[in-house]
Amino acid sequence: MDRRNNRRDAEGISVVTANRLLDGRIVWLGADGQWKTVIQDAEPYANSAIEDVLQRCNARAQQEALVGIYGVQVTRTVSGLQPVTSRERIRAAGPSVHPDFTPDWPTHQPALHA
Amino acid sequence: MPLLENGQIIQDTWQIAVEDTPLPAGDVLVPLARLSEGLGRNEEARLGVVLNSADEIEALREALPRLDLVVLSFPVFRDGRPFTQARALREHLHFKGEIRAGGHILPDQYEFLLRCGVTTVSLPEGVDLSVWQHAHEAFTVAYQPSILNEQPEGFAFRRRLA
Amino acid sequence: MPHVMTQPALPVGHYAYDSVDRTFLKQRVAQFKDQVERRLSGALTEEEFKPLRLMNGLYLQLHAYMLRVAIPYGVLDAAQMRTLAHIARTYDRDYGHFTTRQNIQFNWIRLEDTPEILTVLAEADMHAIQTSGNCIRNVTADQFAGAAADEVLDPRVYAEILRQWSTLHPEFTFLPRKFKIAISGSKQDRVAARFHDIGLIAREGENGRPVFEVFVGGGLGRTPAIGTRLRDDLPEEDLIAYLEAILRVYNAHGRRDNIYKARIKILVQALGAEEFFNQVNAEFSAMDRARYRLPEATVEAIRARFGTPDFAPAGDAAEKLNAQRKADQVFDAWVATNTHAHKQPGYCSVTVSCKPTGGIPGDVTSAQMDLLADLAERYSFGELRITHLQNVVLGHVRQDALYEVWQALAQNGLGTANIGFMTDIIACPGLDYCALANARSIPIAQKLSARFGSADLQRKIGPLRLNISGCINACGHHHAGHIGILGVDKRGEEAFQITLGGSSGGEDASIGQILGSAMSEDETVDAIARIIDTYLSRRTAGERFIETCRRLGTAPFKDAAYAPA
Ligand code: SF4
Repeated sequence: MDRRNNRRDAEGISVVTANRLLDGRIVWLGADGQWKTVIQDAEPYANSAIEDVLQRCNARAQQEALVGIYGVQVTRTVSGLQPVTSRERIRAAGPSVHPDFTPDWPTHQPALHA
Repeated sequence: MPLLENGQIIQDTWQIAVEDTPLPAGDVLVPLARLSEGLGRNEEARLGVVLNSADEIEALREALPRLDLVVLSFPVFRDGRPFTQARALREHLHFKGEIRAGGHILPDQYEFLLRCGVTTVSLPEGVDLSVWQHAHEAFTVAYQPSILNEQPEGFAFRRRLA
Repeated sequence: MPHVMTQPALPVGHYAYDSVDRTFLKQRVAQFKDQVERRLSGALTEEEFKPLRLMNGLYLQLHAYMLRVAIPYGVLDAAQMRTLAHIARTYDRDYGHFTTRQNIQFNWIRLEDTPEILTVLAEADMHAIQTSGNCIRNVTADQFAGAAADEVLDPRVYAEILRQWSTLHPEFTFLPRKFKIAISGSKQDRVAARFHDIGLIAREGENGRPVFEVFVGGGLGRTPAIGTRLRDDLPEEDLIAYLEAILRVYNAHGRRDNIYKARIKILVQALGAEEFFNQVNAEFSAMDRARYRLPEATVEAIRARFGTPDFAPAGDAAEKLNAQRKADQVFDAWVATNTHAHKQPGYCSVTVSCKPTGGIPGDVTSAQMDLLADLAERYSFGELRITHLQNVVLGHVRQDALYEVWQALAQNGLGTANIGFMTDIIACPGLDYCALANARSIPIAQKLSARFGSADLQRKIGPLRLNISGCINACGHHHAGHIGILGVDKRGEEAFQITLGGSSGGEDASIGQILGSAMSEDETVDAIARIIDTYLSRRTAGERFIETCRRLGTAPFKDAAYAPA
């Protein structure tokens, strides 16, 4: 994984993200230990605690069918959790050039192949 | 470690030279740095050499007629140099002995190894042999000539894999 | 009226698969299915699986998996295009993206669907083999191959020979880094041969068989380099042997400790061109040449698998076209920019712009793919080509059918008359999709396209290549653009650098120079507008943008770009 994804300040808060192995979609770790498709459902951790959380998640990555687990620094804003980098803001919101493709875009049902 | 040859697990009878210790009696594998020591042995037993992926095959030119085995090592499966080493051994130096691949290798690379001239692969203990067998049978056609000189398949460079 | 075309037995423009090739594709799909299963079971780690999935064109991008489907030498037939449309509709979000490697990418693929998608592709003689990974990638060729008036010989037969030879090559599938080959068959190098790991330019040799000019070690990316000419007249029969020799030297000695220094261009630079040449020659002399000989019979056997168009007599096609052009100015402008001279009287090649004003360069919807398939079937012997400029070519259209073709395209958002102009922008997917990106390429492309979208303005500016990459990997070929834009990361925010004076074509290939420090998206758009103004005010009569750049140097453009607003 790209090291710069894991860059974060000593202070501040972060959420944990990954991609699902099976469909590649982005997920965020929620307070209940479940992985959510929307960043607003993610649990923020103090940056000082994040390494421990990442370690626990990585240990379960194969079992939970996840890849590329890392921490994303965020700030709390009026509209909820907001990643500090533009890369992570795009990951959280979906491609800016297709405003309709939000993270909760209808889950695709593979049609029977013709 | 188990050795895979022609789809069978065979006994590995070779000993590996231990650092800072005189070479043992019997068939022995030495690193390139100890090749002359190995060649100097007064023994009936066979001699083999272990190459790193960065070693030059040319270094074996003189000694090759007296070697029975060359081991090529993959530090990681992505390091593709041993494929070129194997082909150079067969094609440039006309080596007829055993070429063994060791280290981190995926079953998905097995057919490539064979087509580059490797004859045996050392596998980790407890490996699932069926995956390797499966990999060997995955394709019945290849698209380029190889040192195995397989039969042509139709036209162009296509070859029929056994 | 153009006559209704009967489809020939062999596909026009690409190699026809036979049962052996189809068996191979099925086996490749089964192998990938097995690899996915081993990944899911944990038998393969992600680290082990990743190179295997990449060799089948499957990336894990920012939002999802991306599948890159191979379009060998950029040529596909109508049925294959419909298969791509079907995949876009069924497994993706109804669109695809044509790339600078003449391939297509789908952005919203699920790993679990991939074996099925590959099966669907295989049924249409298509695949995703070696569209990524550290292996020999899809061989690219001139988009006007087999049609251009200035063509010496058709490079696609050789591109196909190289495609087959490189497919699951036992020795060269785990190279230090990716390896790209391009081949052109005309003097006018339309494939950027000097910007490839190996670039080949074919021409007629003395004995009637082709010879190849061989360039090695060109490329863009972090260390842009123009290829070194290794051979001027490599005989056809040595083509494979010589490439084997180059690749063996590279596989053995290319750097593996640093991915940014692993391309062959770095090896050529480190050894020096002469030493590299000597090593290749040593290998070439030591190898078993008979084994790798490319006999004339093999070339002809491959050639015989290519269908050729059955042209109709020109008749009065040219006169009809002239009359139609006189009657309709907009059509006339489109013909002027979007058609290319054909060797067959009465025909021309059409470049369909996938760069509508303000649109996403290279994106096409499934409906547009279906339309292109229909048009190819009706007007171009069922053949389509994807260009490295992310457009689509209908290779052989009768001149008196152009009006109908244009109308159908224009009604479906594909009628933009901008080929070779400023809004014919190359843009990589950038940070909207790409996991490696620093900045978004598409929105800035859209803003520039909208700003310079006026037909009159573009015509006034004239030929201008504008290329955009979202990071230093340079998939958008920014260094080869007359104007290039490179996305950089400024402490987590997007910023852009401008390069000036690049060119990919032929003898005058050059690498763009960075103008200065990075700017925001809007500042960059404004700076480019001032660069254009500078060009318009300082050019001499008939002088193209790139020529003015070369004459004046970067200084006046730099002053303009960084002028206080
Ligand atoms: S240039 Fe960079 S951002 Fe653009 S597609 Fe290539 S890797 Fe991604």
